[in-house]
Amino acid sequence: MRNVDRLCLAHFWVAFGAFLFACLIGTWQMWVRSPLGANIGTPGQYFMSVTAHGVSMAYVLTTFFIMGFGYFVAVTALNRPLPGRLWAWAAFWIALLGVVVTIIPIGLGKASVLFTFYPPLTASAWFYIGLVLVVAGSWIWCVLMLVAMSAWKREHPGQPVPLAMFATVANAVMWLWTTIGVAVQLVFQVIPAALGLVQTIDVGLARTLFSWTLHAIVYFWLIPAYIAFYTMVPRAAGGRLYSDTMGRLTFILFLIYSLPVGMHHLLMDPQHGNAMKFVQVLLTAFVAVPTLLTIFTITASLEIAGRLRGGRGLFGWIAALPWERPMVLATGLGFVMLGFGGFGGIINMGYGMNAMVHNTSWVTAHFHLIFGGSVVIMYFAIAYEIWPRLTGRDHMSLAPLRMQLWLWFVGMMVMTLPWHWLGLQGQWRRVANFNYADPIIAGWGPWVVVSLVGGFVLLISALLFVRNLAVLHRGTVVAVPRALYAVAVHPPKRVPAALNGFGLWNVLVLVLMVLAYGFPIAQFLIEPSPSAIVHRVR
Amino acid sequence: MSDARHEVDERWILRTELLWAFGVGVFIAAALGMILFTALTISVNPPSNVERIDPKALHLSGEFAEHNLGTTVSGDGTVIVRAIATQFMFVPQCIAVPANRRVTLRFASPDVIHGLLITGTNVNTMVIPGFVAQVHTEFTRTGDLLMPCHEYCGQGHSEMWATVQVLPENRFKPGSDGRVSCAQR
Amino acid sequence: MISADQSSAIDSDPEAADDVDEAALASVLRTVPLGAAVLAGSTVALLVIGYLIVYLLVFIPRGIVG
Repeated sequence: MRNVDRLCLAHFWVAFGAFLFACLIGTWQMWVRSPLGANIGTPGQYFMSVTAHGVSMAYVLTTFFIMGFGYFVAVTALNRPLPGRLWAWAAFWIALLGVVVTIIPIGLGKASVLFTFYPPLTASAWFYIGLVLVVAGSWIWCVLMLVAMSAWKREHPGQPVPLAMFATVANAVMWLWTTIGVAVQLVFQVIPAALGLVQTIDVGLARTLFSWTLHAIVYFWLIPAYIAFYTMVPRAAGGRLYSDTMGRLTFILFLIYSLPVGMHHLLMDPQHGNAMKFVQVLLTAFVAVPTLLTIFTITASLEIAGRLRGGRGLFGWIAALPWERPMVLATGLGFVMLGFGGFGGIINMGYGMNAMVHNTSWVTAHFHLIFGGSVVIMYFAIAYEIWPRLTGRDHMSLAPLRMQLWLWFVGMMVMTLPWHWLGLQGQWRRVANFNYADPIIAGWGPWVVVSLVGGFVLLISALLFVRNLAVLHRGTVVAVPRALYAVAVHPPKRVPAALNGFGLWNVLVLVLMVLAYGFPIAQFLIEPSPSAIVHRVR
Repeated sequence: MSDARHEVDERWILRTELLWAFGVGVFIAAALGMILFTALTISVNPPSNVERIDPKALHLSGEFAEHNLGTTVSGDGTVIVRAIATQFMFVPQCIAVPANRRVTLRFASPDVIHGLLITGTNVNTMVIPGFVAQVHTEFTRTGDLLMPCHEYCGQGHSEMWATVQVLPENRFKPGSDGRVSCAQR
Repeated sequence: MISADQSSAIDSDPEAADDVDEAALASVLRTVPLGAAVLAGSTVALLVIGYLIVYLLVFIPRGIVG
């Protein structure tokens, strides 16, 4: 029945291969722009590297990991074979082809437009076409997730869909909605410009369409980590999930509120006015809710585990937890990073305070900490947990796993905390080299070096991570079958249809998107912005 | 466990979650309230003026023609700064502004997306070809500030910045044409 | 590879191999979620305070903007 072992492993190795590559060049970037690397590297190399780093981390690591994890969940949580396995393989090859098609123009220097593409800066058409292929592969995955859940529901009428699958499908539905923005931008604006079919582009519309995708995509990345929180961590800790219902609610809230908030990335933009900016800030405040609910529910679940292990008093349960288990350790470290990262996030979303931090290193710090930190550390934990199930071999020792997680945590904190400080000082983004002779900039140098040290620690951690997985392929310890998914304190026997499917929620998403993006997009269709000339990057 | 006790416990769990959600909701409402309050009372907003301009004709437009760039003080005392952000410089490269007076900054781009901030202040805006970017502020401290381009605009992005001289009242003297240039040092 | 049927069944059967003793769970649930509420609550409180500090001591002094 585990017909997806090779499928999952294929996806994960592409993901982690891209991840390791991105860590290497990311460290190089940090070195080159620090005082220590003042005469090394050209701007051309730097921006090529930034483009490759962003594309690898934001589009390849994430999409392939999520697809692979989704197939794993669909089979193990639903206890049935994956429907349409050939389609899944087709999706993999299409997406992988997309990666190759994208990376070549980047390497040739014809696509230094960064992973957020900044039209009218325009790269080689192949760069965008490759990314469209990756997205197309992921759409096939979305459909397969929906099909798998529907098939299970037909076979189990009236029963609650296992939470891990419910969340995975919520993520798939959200991804379908999310990619509409960038797909429209690429297909109707950017690719025609890249192909030379048009010479000008409506930048206001392009940026607005991209913002549709830009925030929701980070929740696409985040949900697998939360799936681990709700469905794996309580079991790993030896306890129960405090509330299955809150789990379902959390993923529904993410589905609804991740999308109509993208314009908080455009708060400093002149093509939108106050009113819509405020509406989207309001909705952004709502998307903080599922995270705040999650920290309570998961902490309570851990408290159950800790008290069952003999922890006493208000906080005694914390020390009593089985921290030697990677899944538990990753959660603790992840929550600390989530605290700091979330703090940065609520400042970013501040209607006025955004002005203080926009496009400074504060932003770079925030998303490295929250995504690279709290989310990716859970990707590691998930990989450690399911690799034995995919390879049939168990870890010889958990010590290197824990070491790797600690190194990731320490490296991430050391790298990102100075960046927050530098951002407040006004250090700005996407700079190949700073003029450290300038009195204002000179003071930043030491902090940049501290950050660089953090970056090196992360690189070591990344290498150790890949090592920890690779050795299992030739491992000698046979994996002992072990239960994976957590049990809730009150396992649901029946749940209302609203907590078992997405029909109602899709309607709500549509309503909110019309409210939040209706006018902002329509304004450009009614009266296009004065168009800008396409600038092809050499 | 009997089903009845099961139900009671489940309701109790959900009640604790509701209590937590309520507390969290209060926090969010307070943060939003403060934001709204400051927006309304002391005028703290993101850039909110939506004004279109043709990037391909900036040099032709009266307002952003080169001779009109820089700091101008009009008859009634309003201070307006106009600058162009282009690959890879700001024009003018040095801008003089007065301390403790309302200043309006207006930017336009003839080519690609740029952005700027002024260190130590809350001045921060994107400059999108097709639109005029406008920011009002009051500079609270005198001194020389950096105004870098903070959005990737191409290979020369790292070298793109301007200087802002915040001058005390007694040194901020417009010429007969209403213009103020940077003090020579 | 692990015997697919055996491991899948264990992976997905929600009642399988859960070591939690129901009586112990019931006893523990008399205290939970007090610890969680205090820990998570203090963390959120710190976030709020930090937010206000940055707002009042860093942001506002840099001047009004609009």
